[in-house]
Amino acid sequence: MLTGLRRFQQMLPRSLQIILPRLLLLAPQMFGVLFVTFFLIRLLPGDPAVLLLGNMATPEAVAQLRERLGLNDSIWVQFIAYCRNVLHGDLGISIFTSHPVLTDLMERAPATLELIFYAMILTVAIGLLLAVVSVVRPGGFTDVATRIYGLAAGAIPDFWIGLILIFVFFSKLGWAAAPFGRIDAMLSEPPYVTGFYTIDALVAGDFGVLHSAAGRLLLPVITLAVVNAGALMKMTQSVFGKVWASPFVRHARASGVPERVIIRAALRNSLPPIITIVGFLVGFLLGAAVLVETIFSWGGLGQYAVQAVMNSDYPALQGFILVAAAFILVVYLIVDILYELVDPRIRV
Amino acid sequence: MSRIPHSLRSPAAVIGFALLFLQILLILFAPLLSPYSPVEADALASLQPPSAAHWFGTDITGMDVFSRVIYATRINLLISVVSVAVAFLIGVPLGLFIGYYKGIVSSLVMRLFDFIQAFPIFVLGMALVAVMGQEIWNVAIVLAILFTPVFARLIRAEVLSLRERPFVAAARCSGASDLHIMFGHLLLNALLPAMVQVSISIGMAILLTAGLSFIGAGVRMPVPEWGLMVSSGAQQMILGVWWVSLFPGLAIVFSVLCFALLGDVIRDLLDPTKTRRAVSTSTDIIPGIGGPL
Repeated sequence: MLTGLRRFQQMLPRSLQIILPRLLLLAPQMFGVLFVTFFLIRLLPGDPAVLLLGNMATPEAVAQLRERLGLNDSIWVQFIAYCRNVLHGDLGISIFTSHPVLTDLMERAPATLELIFYAMILTVAIGLLLAVVSVVRPGGFTDVATRIYGLAAGAIPDFWIGLILIFVFFSKLGWAAAPFGRIDAMLSEPPYVTGFYTIDALVAGDFGVLHSAAGRLLLPVITLAVVNAGALMKMTQSVFGKVWASPFVRHARASGVPERVIIRAALRNSLPPIITIVGFLVGFLLGAAVLVETIFSWGGLGQYAVQAVMNSDYPALQGFILVAAAFILVVYLIVDILYELVDPRIRV
Repeated sequence: MSRIPHSLRSPAAVIGFALLFLQILLILFAPLLSPYSPVEADALASLQPPSAAHWFGTDITGMDVFSRVIYATRINLLISVVSVAVAFLIGVPLGLFIGYYKGIVSSLVMRLFDFIQAFPIFVLGMALVAVMGQEIWNVAIVLAILFTPVFARLIRAEVLSLRERPFVAAARCSGASDLHIMFGHLLLNALLPAMVQVSISIGMAILLTAGLSFIGAGVRMPVPEWGLMVSSGAQQMILGVWWVSLFPGLAIVFSVLCFALLGDVIRDLLDPTKTRRAVSTSTDIIPGIGGPL
């Protein structure tokens, strides 16, 4: 049976050989996520029905919810019921907004994704650029500056640097847009296409909205990039540094290959570990977005999660953790697949 | 002077130890050093800019920011050091066991760690504190839970390579018990990466504690805590009131920097084979846990 599977696997193209086993692994991981989010609430001291409804709930409502949640059944029957609900897209009703949690999350997801997307691009750009320059020109100004930046970046709290940026660029200099949401309150949202305001505005040809949305993105994106680019830079420095010192680079230079081409080739060879780090970065950015969104009143998933914590809104919190964990798992999956695809030396 | 190892005389080491010494002074002599009570509100002195009377100004309730920054050193370092110590004391023996014994239990524990570390660390911390209740000790417990896998993994990785070495076989042949091999022979040899990680983890714990308090999932007002203080000034920052948030934030930066530098120093001290260039990895991403959040 197993050998048959293996033979079947070897008949597939290399990319499918890499992707299929990973996809199979996703199912037990998602099951684990469900398990944790379920027991996170159930392990609490006290009645989950009371927790879900809040302290003001009437005894009848509690009894009704206990019945509906099946709290009188055994814990395993409850867990199966919970899994079934989640698979049907039922994450419960938020206590605070009184909308279904899934609807709430779907509404807010594009805001967070847009923020993370641009922050990611800037982080990678800064991290790689600084790393390459510092390795190629050792002892130069950039080399010294990156050493200080690398040390400091890991020590700066993102929520604090966000506030400092607001103070300097909004309050004092007046260059940046106000830290209140994704577009100017006077403008209306662009018609929904992707949920990314910048792209939707572009599609609609509304440059006023595009300008406002891009302006609002600037400070939170810089905040996230400044804090996270340091780790990526140091990782790239060590990987790229090793490649830069390797014989093939020396050989290429001796053969008169232009420096720019050598850098590109060396960077290409440093790619696999960098891709892994970039994947982890998505996870960090999602965590950091919780803080940064709060500062900039971003109205995304992170701010929703913070509100859920403040209001003891357990269904919302449970839903957020479920979605966040699922998102991270999918990102790690993509990273694993890319990692093997970009490096043909890795055997499947 | 020549008796002091070279790695303790580097600028990084000097700055690191100076910052550590400063923090110890602040913790020990907080009541003597702070001119005001850290928790006493004075409505008449609300939001005063830095002056001779209030070096770091006052916050919206009129509490002296300078005094609160000093007192907060106690809370922030208490939470961070205790949580990392607990994580170390649980993680190290656990790592020894799952590295030494290859079995179903060991791989189950590893899968559990994979799983804990798959969550964004800040999101998981936030959820756990929210569910357990927003108390100082709950923050410490949550941080200990988050850091235990880090230490266990580091020890396990070392033990996996050490357990095949001849000295372990020799010990076994001379009749040493498993426990004796683990704690008498393997432990000290496997400890270096975990020791370096202690200092770095304390820095990360400070950042996490502050972040949790900032969003309201950590300690509560009027406890003097750096993240909470930054948060209490966040509203006024837009209006140009910078001092309420700036100073506690700087305190976080210097405190975390101190433990990052000391992590490098410990590494140099315990492992002299490492070259200068390879040192600047203190706050590097460790798979699954990594950067501050």
